[in-house]
Amino acid sequence: MSLLDKYRIRQAENLEKTMNRVQRWAAVAIVLGLMAGSTALLAGEMKADAATASEAITRAEAAQKKADSVNGEWRDTGKFIKNAKKAVEEGDYAKAIRLANKAESEGNLGYQQAVSQSKLEIPSYLKAMY
Amino acid sequence: MKKLLISLAVLLVTAVSAQAGPEEDRMAFIKYYKGKFPNVPMEEYANGAYAIDPVGRENWEAIEEFPPYEPFIDRGQVMWEKPFANGKGYKDCFPDGPAIAHNYPRWDREQGLVMTLPLALNQCRKANSEKPLKYKKGPINDILSYIAFQSRGKVVNVEVPKDDPRAMAAYEDGKKFYFTRRGQLNFSCATCHVQNTGLKVRTEILSPSVGHITHWPVYRSKVDWGTVGTLHRRFTGCNKNIRAKPMKAQGPEYRNLEYFLSYLSNGLELNGPGARK
Ligand code: HEC
Repeated sequence: MSLLDKYRIRQAENLEKTMNRVQRWAAVAIVLGLMAGSTALLAGEMKADAATASEAITRAEAAQKKADSVNGEWRDTGKFIKNAKKAVEEGDYAKAIRLANKAESEGNLGYQQAVSQSKLEIPSYLKAMY
Repeated sequence: MKKLLISLAVLLVTAVSAQAGPEEDRMAFIKYYKGKFPNVPMEEYANGAYAIDPVGRENWEAIEEFPPYEPFIDRGQVMWEKPFANGKGYKDCFPDGPAIAHNYPRWDREQGLVMTLPLALNQCRKANSEKPLKYKKGPINDILSYIAFQSRGKVVNVEVPKDDPRAMAAYEDGKKFYFTRRGQLNFSCATCHVQNTGLKVRTEILSPSVGHITHWPVYRSKVDWGTVGTLHRRFTGCNKNIRAKPMKAQGPEYRNLEYFLSYLSNGLELNGPGARK
């Protein structure tokens, strides 16, 4: 491998590192945004009643399905939804909404995670071996 | 001009690895591990983490003196020899005898899918009106243990036939799975088993992908195993650890993954059943 190739690979690695960092912060931003959004929703005019809970669960299920359609579902999303439904049965609508919102955000993130990698990328540490 | 050359070179590097065939992939993995573990001989990769973890290895060698998977092999032999309700048996489906693990996974042209040994066993059962076996836990591990034991010493030789593009597509699908980051932890298989091989996760040393498929099914002493389990059960566990929803055992995703992963072990000898932590 020539020096130039090595330099290029290093450049590519640096770029990947930066991208990873960017992605991580983007994910954090999304999560924070969602958290802020859902708390605002709860604190604001939205009431923690049965109808709101049921809507939140419907949204969560749609997000879960979307993630699953690209094999991007996360491990606990289904569990959150199941527990949200249980909370509705027990009349704890605030808990149900909290869980459903968590599941919805996981569904969205899992979907984005999968589609953002729709093209195969061999990571730089291995790419250098070809 | 210089800029153009650089972009051309970058394009070339990208194009080469994106289109690399199975053999190029295997060589790249081996070169990577050789660089990381220059003193580990090739055949040692069949021993997984114990090729690179001297402390764990001592423990493992002691365990192998009284193999915990032995009763599974014995039960598997009984299964192999016992006729089904209709009088036929596994022997009729697999006339070459039980030493057949090295023939899987293979591309099945007629069905247009990756045929694995567990799937072949269940197709045999179904064809003879027997209930299929579960793919992760239970009796499938008995018969797999027997077949693995009988197949010891056979050499992994996975083929991706060039004249059927569906085979290459299945291989590519498995490869894509291997490098796709999943779950809340955003890890791919490669993050742990390539990038971080040799490092410790909790109490375990991460093993190289080369050698990952030579020794199934595996007896694991871990509390929630304490028994012999299948390769797809292991895939499930690794997916759950990164908080991703696992795929269905013996579904197309995991079978294609097995196809890719098995190709990487071409040339290694089968040494199953195995014992791991
Ligand atoms: C968080 C890190 C991590 C990720 C990601 C991961 N694994 Fe693992 N894997 C482990 C650990 C830890 C073990 C047990 C120690 C060892 O053998 O590496 C293991 C073991 C294995 C084994 C058994 C090795 C043997 O010698 O018996 C296989 C096969 C395997 N992993 C495949 C995969 C596949 C396929 C993926 C992607 C779907 C994957 N792993 C993702 C951590 C990981």
